[in-house]
Amino acid sequence: MKNILEIQDLNVNVNGEEILHHINMEVPEGEVHALFGPNGSGKTSLMMTIMGFSGYKITSGKIIFDGEDVTDLDLTERARRGIAVAQQRPPTIKGVKLRQVLDYAYAQDPAIEDELKQLITDNKLDKFLDRDINDGLSGGEIRRVELLQLLATRPKFAMLDEPDSGIDIEALELIGDMAKRLYSVDISRPAFRRSGLIITHTGQILESVYADKAHVMMDGTVEGCGNAQIVLDTICDAGYSQCLTCIKRKVPQS
Amino acid sequence: MPDLHQTKGAPIMTKSTWTPSGDFEIKDFVLDGGTPQPSLIAPNQFPKIDAQELAEVGVLFDSPQRAGTFVVQDFHTICSQTQAEGLEVLPIAEALRKYDWLAEKYAWKLIDPDTNKITRFCAEQEVPQGYFIRVEAGAKVEFPYQAALYQSHANIAQAIHNIVIVEDDAELTLITGCATRHEISSGVHLAVSEQFIGKRARFTNTMVHSWGPKVSVRPHSATIVDEDGIFESNYVSLRPAADIRSNPITWLNGDRASARYYSVILGSTGSHILSGGEVYLNGEDTSAELAHRAICTGGQIIQTGLLTGSNRCRAHIDCSGMILDPGKKGFIESTPGVRSEHPEAMMSHEASIGKIAPEQVEYLQSRGIEERQAISMIIRGFLNADIAGLGEELDARIDQIAEMSGHGEA
Repeated sequence: MKNILEIQDLNVNVNGEEILHHINMEVPEGEVHALFGPNGSGKTSLMMTIMGFSGYKITSGKIIFDGEDVTDLDLTERARRGIAVAQQRPPTIKGVKLRQVLDYAYAQDPAIEDELKQLITDNKLDKFLDRDINDGLSGGEIRRVELLQLLATRPKFAMLDEPDSGIDIEALELIGDMAKRLYSVDISRPAFRRSGLIITHTGQILESVYADKAHVMMDGTVEGCGNAQIVLDTICDAGYSQCLTCIKRKVPQS
Repeated sequence: MPDLHQTKGAPIMTKSTWTPSGDFEIKDFVLDGGTPQPSLIAPNQFPKIDAQELAEVGVLFDSPQRAGTFVVQDFHTICSQTQAEGLEVLPIAEALRKYDWLAEKYAWKLIDPDTNKITRFCAEQEVPQGYFIRVEAGAKVEFPYQAALYQSHANIAQAIHNIVIVEDDAELTLITGCATRHEISSGVHLAVSEQFIGKRARFTNTMVHSWGPKVSVRPHSATIVDEDGIFESNYVSLRPAADIRSNPITWLNGDRASARYYSVILGSTGSHILSGGEVYLNGEDTSAELAHRAICTGGQIIQTGLLTGSNRCRAHIDCSGMILDPGKKGFIESTPGVRSEHPEAMMSHEASIGKIAPEQVEYLQSRGIEERQAISMIIRGFLNADIAGLGEELDARIDQIAEMSGHGEA
């Protein structure tokens, strides 16, 4: 099966300090992977690097997306090739309305407009359309608005940064439904669902979106990977260190 | 006729209120040498070149959505048309001849003619130029009325005196477009505007300026608002003059009167702009909001304001600036001011000057939007000149400014 994303021996600097070291990761097309790790382990930095944000300087290594080396492509080009991220703490942009971003997406793909308008109405997201982007929104509202934008842009590879952190139960259900829709069957390629990568600490989002695999990061590197549910259970029971010990020994844990 | 000239509370402005005029001598410019008054023309008789210039400042000669048109070109009024019930518009000289009470009760009652040499010059004009606008009590004029103050010859000293009276329960939106023909680079525009807003009346004045690079502009504006009256003043400067100093003053004398000022300024290299505003909240439960937005691409911009609360009231002043490229001498200086003379006067202010936040640009890029377009969107949002009734041309010009600023071309 072809990989939608391949990261090859990636090293990344932020403000002159190397924060990601020798990252290797593969995500096959049609799969959604989870990304676990303690705070400060580099999970968000990895997502931002994949997306192409300028503060994350790749010093060596490659990012191959959908068979193309995108290492030297800028943010807009990567977005146009189908990479997208729903940030945990996106910036507020005064004076720019959510509607403008959605209108841009509709212009690229008019077919999505009617479907998305229905989604907006069903999820009571209308009230956000003419608000400044992310201005005065609660955590749950920010997550929903981020997911809405990803649903509008229909990326090939959608990354979610902690969509379930600090969210109340009702909001979580709404976010889960939107995430489930995001990672459902990709209309352009019916044999697959949309691919992606999800950062989560609690695993709650994984009750709505099945994760084919989980990667565990520590101290700026991907230490290993395994079955998402087993990895999560081990982290919950015994902590990250024990989890990594098991991963490295490749011994399944009950 | 309501006694709107009574100014209880704050005194009529004195010489010390205005920043002293200076830096040019009026006599160095071409003055009106008594040239004969030309015949008035209809809007559709304007030369295309002038029509296009004025369209950029919101004066649309072919729009059915205008209540009428008034044009002063150089030293003369050349168009004065009205097509709305309850709305009277005359050249100011004609109105002064027609109505005794205008000079007795209104003309030069809010602005002392001896304030400075500019006001004296305007007051001494043998045949004053400018508009007299009166909206009868209860009349709600549906479409904006448009007035153009236009210079088509180089190096002239244009003196203007305007009086607007919006009677009780009346409503009017006025678009005042001020411009020079594109090839005109120098001159002076000296203006005095006195505005009287009655009880429960509403007056919105949107001024759009597009001056040649060496034109000095000195508008003097004073407004008095009665009970429950609303005054909105919008100012948009697109092709900034070398030198603009503006400090409109409003007295909210009636209880529950309110005022809102909004200015949008592009300061490119060679320009020096002082954009101020004073509001005196004298009546009870009055409110005022003053918002300045400026973009610096090499010019010098000073944003000021003073809101004075002498009664139970609410007021807020917000100065925001974005420096895209200061060049060698450009800057934005913001000094919002609030003054309270009453324990229940709730006054607040804020000021911020900065650059475009890269994380905001990149956020939009992560949605597939190209960098320059993202910058333009942010600048457009910052300018937020969503001012009703100005027309597509002006909207397009503001978009153009945002686009050019985003590309570093403004």
